Amino acid sequence: MFIPNPSDEPMPYRVLATALVLCLLATGSGLAAQMSGDPPRPLEKPIPAPGFTLEDMDGTTHRLEDHGGRVVVVSFWATWCPPCREEMPSMERAWQALKEHDIVMLAVNVGEDADTIFAFTGDYPVSFPLPMDRDSSVLKAWPVRGLPTTFVIDKQGRIVYRVIGGRDWSSPELLQMLIDLQNR
Amino acid sequence: MHPSLHQIALVIAVFLLPLPLPAKLSTGEDADTALQYWLWEEAGIAFRLTQRLPDQTRAFFAARGFDQAARERVALACVFQSEFQNTAGNDSPPVEYDLTEWRVHSTQGTRPLLVREAWQTVWADYALPESAAIAFEWSLLPTRQRYEAKDYNWGMTAYGLPPGSMFDLEFRWSRGGEHYTRRIDGIRCPPDVHPEPE
Repeated sequence: MFIPNPSDEPMPYRVLATALVLCLLATGSGLAAQMSGDPPRPLEKPIPAPGFTLEDMDGTTHRLEDHGGRVVVVSFWATWCPPCREEMPSMERAWQALKEHDIVMLAVNVGEDADTIFAFTGDYPVSFPLPMDRDSSVLKAWPVRGLPTTFVIDKQGRIVYRVIGGRDWSSPELLQMLIDLQNR
Repeated sequence: MHPSLHQIALVIAVFLLPLPLPAKLSTGEDADTALQYWLWEEAGIAFRLTQRLPDQTRAFFAARGFDQAARERVALACVFQSEFQNTAGNDSPPVEYDLTEWRVHSTQGTRPLLVREAWQTVWADYALPESAAIAFEWSLLPTRQRYEAKDYNWGMTAYGLPPGSMFDLEFRWSRGGEHYTRRIDGIRCPPDVHPEPE
């Protein structure tokens, strides 16, 4: 066993000490780093995305089936859900980067009315559509057990990724994953 | 004899290996609410319970259309804010749990949690507006869930004990065919206090 002498080898000793501190930080609270930007593992068996037709708070109709041949990101969320709120700004940044690639983003609100969503967008301004699933019937047709849940649908209309909980959708890795899927 | 850079690099590499962590229970005061929390971390999962004062729960459900009787029913059911996360990476199998397998041990005996399906029976006696029923269902931690890498949920869990009661929670999860059963002792239901601004 060796015992480094800090006075003789100052740089490596500091490197070792720094590495140990980083190790301790990395093993801290498991819930501190929830907004991962890592790409998810693809579903082993992609499944057809259930269709829907929903209006947003402006009365515009959104049909999932109208977006065939494009990658679509569909998120289910509610204004009272903390991880939903936390990931919204990153979704807006992602949307700004993805729309030029013809990728679609739809964030389906569950169970709330236009006034509630309008007030929410005052605090969390987003420019992608927010269709409203007022009676949660669309939500129940999708494999969702908790909010937020976000799906990535490929150009063949199949769910190829499912993500539960908030993510940093503007991370370079997630953006590239979506762009690669669109270019495939 | 001084260590070579290779030796130091080896030591650093050993420390950076993603070794499974031993079980760790942390408790303390939540930074935002000053209420008590319990955090269990082990084998690529993190599970945290944070007390919710009955007044917090009353306010949340009042804003979602619950009448007084309905919000009292849930506010006094020993509700915690709960977080469950798969903290492992894509190289690990998914994590699964089923809340109906979890058990609450207290002086009143052993009982299951009040999960979504149990609450549906409760609400049959109340005339909840549709939007309130939807908000309630989805604000609870899912009864069953399967988490891929970094997936997580936040949600309420209810233990059906009076405010201020003490209980032990036996909780379970599985990963890749391996089943884990653990127990957190001495959890305290949030008291029904009404803090005034100082």
